[in-house]
Amino acid sequence: MEKAYAQALWMVIKKGMKPSGAIRAMHEKLTREGRAALMPRIAWAFDHIARRDANRTALTLTVADEAHAPRAHKEASHAGLDLERVENRVDTTLIGGWRLEGQEQLIDASYKRHLLAIYRAATHA
Amino acid sequence: MDSSIIEKIVREIEGYAPKNEGQHVGRVTAVGDGVVAIDGLSKAVMSEIIVFEEGKGKSLESAMMQETELYGLILNLEEDGVRASILGDSARVSEGMTVKSTGKILSVPSGDELLGRVVNALGEPIDGKGPFKAVTMMQVERQASGVIDRKGVSVPLQTGIKAIDSMIPIGRGQRELIIGDRSTGKTTVAIDTIINQRNEPAEKRPICIYVAVGQKESKTARIVEQLREAGALEYTIIVDAPASAPAALQFLAPFAGAAIGEFFMDRGQDVLVIYDDLSKQAVAYRQLSLLLRRPPGREAYPGDIFYLHSRLLERAARLSDEKGGGSLTALPIIETQEGDVSAYIPTNVISITDGQIFLDASLFNKGILPAIDVGISVSRVGSAAQTKAMKSVAGGLKLELAQFRDLEAFMQFAQDLDKETADRIASGMRMVEVLKQKNGQPIPLQNQVAALYAATHKFFADVPVNNVTGVETQFIQYMDGQHQKTLAEIQTSGVVSEESKKELNHAMEEFKLAHAELFSLK
Repeated sequence: MEKAYAQALWMVIKKGMKPSGAIRAMHEKLTREGRAALMPRIAWAFDHIARRDANRTALTLTVADEAHAPRAHKEASHAGLDLERVENRVDTTLIGGWRLEGQEQLIDASYKRHLLAIYRAATHA
Repeated sequence: MDSSIIEKIVREIEGYAPKNEGQHVGRVTAVGDGVVAIDGLSKAVMSEIIVFEEGKGKSLESAMMQETELYGLILNLEEDGVRASILGDSARVSEGMTVKSTGKILSVPSGDELLGRVVNALGEPIDGKGPFKAVTMMQVERQASGVIDRKGVSVPLQTGIKAIDSMIPIGRGQRELIIGDRSTGKTTVAIDTIINQRNEPAEKRPICIYVAVGQKESKTARIVEQLREAGALEYTIIVDAPASAPAALQFLAPFAGAAIGEFFMDRGQDVLVIYDDLSKQAVAYRQLSLLLRRPPGREAYPGDIFYLHSRLLERAARLSDEKGGGSLTALPIIETQEGDVSAYIPTNVISITDGQIFLDASLFNKGILPAIDVGISVSRVGSAAQTKAMKSVAGGLKLELAQFRDLEAFMQFAQDLDKETADRIASGMRMVEVLKQKNGQPIPLQNQVAALYAATHKFFADVPVNNVTGVETQFIQYMDGQHQKTLAEIQTSGVVSEESKKELNHAMEEFKLAHAELFSLK
């Protein structure tokens, strides 16, 4: 039940309704129906939906060294992804290159992946 | 370092063309009991293979240490994600892990290289004899052959078991269920059938596939050893999904066995697949379905449990000549509880198959082996495939035995019985003895015909009941030694000609004269 309410709340906010107004309207409706106790669970379900959406739309650019970030940005932008809201991370295990993950896409241009591919091809051939 | 290894590495580096293509990915949101919930992968398809990315955040060295990639199989497509089963150690999966789509439907390797090998449900060798080199990948889920591509069952599949070959004959391309309680000899019937195929000429010998589902590893190891000792492993493939394997692999193993068999069937060869057993597969599928939150139905099995078995067993077929004329015979095994054949899964599989061989615990306990209850065992299409030789000697056998079972109850009043009833009981008792057979000793068709010819011609009428099996064995040995030509003629022609009948009668007389001491009821 709470999932359906949270989903509805998410949809109206996405369509442009002010969050405070939407929540107030829902609270009033639930109080009228004697279901106000559902509110905390709706909030939890809403948070879950919001986090899931953020995960889906978030984009993370990981580089082995911060100094490689500008070059990685340049190369990654050629992949056609919107890099405006990209989050930058450093992961030294990548050895070199970069890795862009998010929006159900993964582009792994790290040296680690290339070296692993060569290792697997050599050992499994 | 070995120079050949260095050369290989250099070759790989020189030939390496890096590609930075985007991959379709998702993220693990929950994991438990071998099932993962994945957010994303909105373009994934059912039964698609996914790869868990375990190397993320790990050093190159530890990523290289990972022996094999961990795969999953998509089983549920949901509104906001997918659910998949892990085809391996679920402890290797953690929340937040990236999952890559492969765009590939689950396939297993098949080919001549697999003969004599033991593989898991994914077709990976598990017998320590090394990887396969040249194999063909076969899709695990494949639509069964259509009506136009099939032809009727007409070629017999000899099991080497007298009771089956004479009364419940199986044809190539048939689906015959072996059903019974635990420890009644179901696996023995199946294994004897595999062993008996060595009596077939190499060009007609079916490829045998034994699929062990939810069995103890020790039992499977024993079977492999038994097949090796009998010289049957060279034409057999073992697919093993033991009780310790994840439920997903136990559910997939029969489909993998069918897929491996279809390769040979498509090539025009005959294949025999044994699914040991489908009750355990159903239990594994129930477990998986409940974890995938599919609505439970009767006995908590999911609604598509019938479809699970029907789509598997429909893959058994005898292909038309245009399609190569190959066949896939299925011998599924079902374990009943206290002989209850009306339980959910047994009735489902009984209705899907073309007959059943029912093994009765009470017969087993009486020492009647194989413990086949011929009264309720039936083969719906096999009689069309039975050889004329066997038909001529076993025509009235089933009826005679059924009548004997009915009259058996009167045996306690033996003194008051009329002569006809007493004779029928005496004949029935001897027939039961003739049909007894030790496990692991399948009998070639011509020897079966000779034994049953003798039995139906009252050859054992003067032999004490408890000596019948021994006399029959001696008679067969005598036939093998002295009348090989007659047996060979029956084998090659597939009929008992008038000439052969004369020879058999003559042999029976000769044997009686030579062993008069055996034919005395006193």
